[in-house]
Amino acid sequence: MIWVEFKKQWRRPRTVITFAALAVFSVVLTVAISATGSGTVERVGDVPLLIVPGTSGLSVPVIALSSTMKFFLPLAVAIFAGESVAGEAGWGSLRYALARPVSRAAYLATKLFVALVLSLVAIVLIPVAAVVAGTVAFGWHHLVIVNGAASTATHQVVANFSPGLVLGYLGVATAYVAAGMMSIFAFSFLLSTLTTRPFVAVAGGVSLTIVSRVFNSDYLPGVAVLNPYMPNNDVDLWQNFFVRPAVTSGMAHFLVLQVVYVVVFLGAAWIWFVRKDILT
Amino acid sequence: MIGVELVKQLHRPRGWVTLGLVAAVPIVLVLVVGLSRPTVAERLGDYGSVVTNSSGLTLPLIALSAMLLFLLPLAVAVFAGETVAGEASWGSLRYLLARPVPRSRVLASKAVVAAGFSVATVVVVVVSGVVGGVLAFGWHPVTVVDLQHTTVFHVAAATFSAPAMVLRTLAAAAFILATLASTFAFAFFLSTLTTRPFSAVAGGVGLSLVSRALDNVPGLHALSPWLPVTDSGTTAWTGFFTSPPQTTDVVHTLVVQAVYSAGFLIAAFVWFTRSDIVA
Repeated sequence: MIWVEFKKQWRRPRTVITFAALAVFSVVLTVAISATGSGTVERVGDVPLLIVPGTSGLSVPVIALSSTMKFFLPLAVAIFAGESVAGEAGWGSLRYALARPVSRAAYLATKLFVALVLSLVAIVLIPVAAVVAGTVAFGWHHLVIVNGAASTATHQVVANFSPGLVLGYLGVATAYVAAGMMSIFAFSFLLSTLTTRPFVAVAGGVSLTIVSRVFNSDYLPGVAVLNPYMPNNDVDLWQNFFVRPAVTSGMAHFLVLQVVYVVVFLGAAWIWFVRKDILT
Repeated sequence: MIGVELVKQLHRPRGWVTLGLVAAVPIVLVLVVGLSRPTVAERLGDYGSVVTNSSGLTLPLIALSAMLLFLLPLAVAVFAGETVAGEASWGSLRYLLARPVPRSRVLASKAVVAAGFSVATVVVVVVSGVVGGVLAFGWHPVTVVDLQHTTVFHVAAATFSAPAMVLRTLAAAAFILATLASTFAFAFFLSTLTTRPFSAVAGGVGLSLVSRALDNVPGLHALSPWLPVTDSGTTAWTGFFTSPPQTTDVVHTLVVQAVYSAGFLIAAFVWFTRSDIVA
């Protein structure tokens, strides 16, 4: 059943295009950096981390993960989760799929598992492609990062990371980003069971990232109290691995928050789907 | 034709609901700011910072600044995206076009009315902000701290009289409208492509999201000046509130908007005048 679902999803152009677009993003980013000034300092994230990309290929995955975690990765995850059930309904094949002697819960679990695996592959693809492309372009060297927050005009706070250490941090960072995508994944999946139009489920999932960004005290006065509970706000905390000493505060809170969102959304999806009147 | 379209849209609740919601946002902000943090300085874009309860005339700026990230693009995309796709989803598009009027005129009148509602949206935000702000905090001059020139040792600030603030706020509102033009034009173009208004609206908002996401990629700076929606472009109006005004990005932003808007609108007209209408 899971295998059938994998084969079905893999044959859809949407899956292949999403993967290809994410891999191409890392490559294009590398080419753009090397073409327009790999020797200049890039400010990454809110810290900010100051990195000269040309000094090490391992700067590219840091930049690529930073620049995809707030929109492009949520979009990819929402595509896989939002397509899962609504895609069948949109094709009109859901009722036939459910006519097989399989419980709805098992069917939903299969859909969930396959969409989850595809999403995780999409998330891992970004740093992996970026490490390869970056290393080819700029070489396998130590990564030097200046902490932009702690540095002053007269004194730079510099940290030097060995390639192996950067890879280790990137692994943890990718896992953290993947965990941070789960609220969006679960919400898209819930919408996917509610609607028969995949596009609505995808757009709804992406809208969670918009909610996070709109209810941000940088733009809107008086919402600072809500910020710690926004589904996508603190997904950038992994950048604090690359300051010395590494800061991990807030990460556990964010992961617990993701668990709460996932339990609520997936619970609602399950309750809804096992009782739903399937018309398409 | 424009009159017919205007009457039709005025009878639909959508426009009124949208305008009502955007009018409510500054009022809510007045309440939040008045109740919880009246003396806290709020930051506006890259250039200025204002102390809220010093004058009610800060409220329209704070409201515009808060809404231009998402709510204003959404409102504009709703008006533009509903135009043709709305008719198509009702199934009334083919009857509309059966009238002895060229398709380009039908499309032009829809564009004009949707643009009118979009202008009204920004005007409503400004008026609601001014009225709510002045009622709560009064009609006083505003002191804006110039963030770009303020250091630890020196606070650079400029004070504007109340009428000068109103004039500059109107200029800012006009500029913000211009930065919404590409979103409007793209949603309008999508509206001629699809029969589902939701897709056109989401696509229009999606343009601003994708554009901002690309704008914020470190390493793609070369691309930023040519994107339709950027952080520096949409907040360039905050430079109006320094003395002297800083208008570095303004002309460039307007040119980029004009090019994108023209491109999408031409595409909409070319497509719509040739498309096979089945809905």
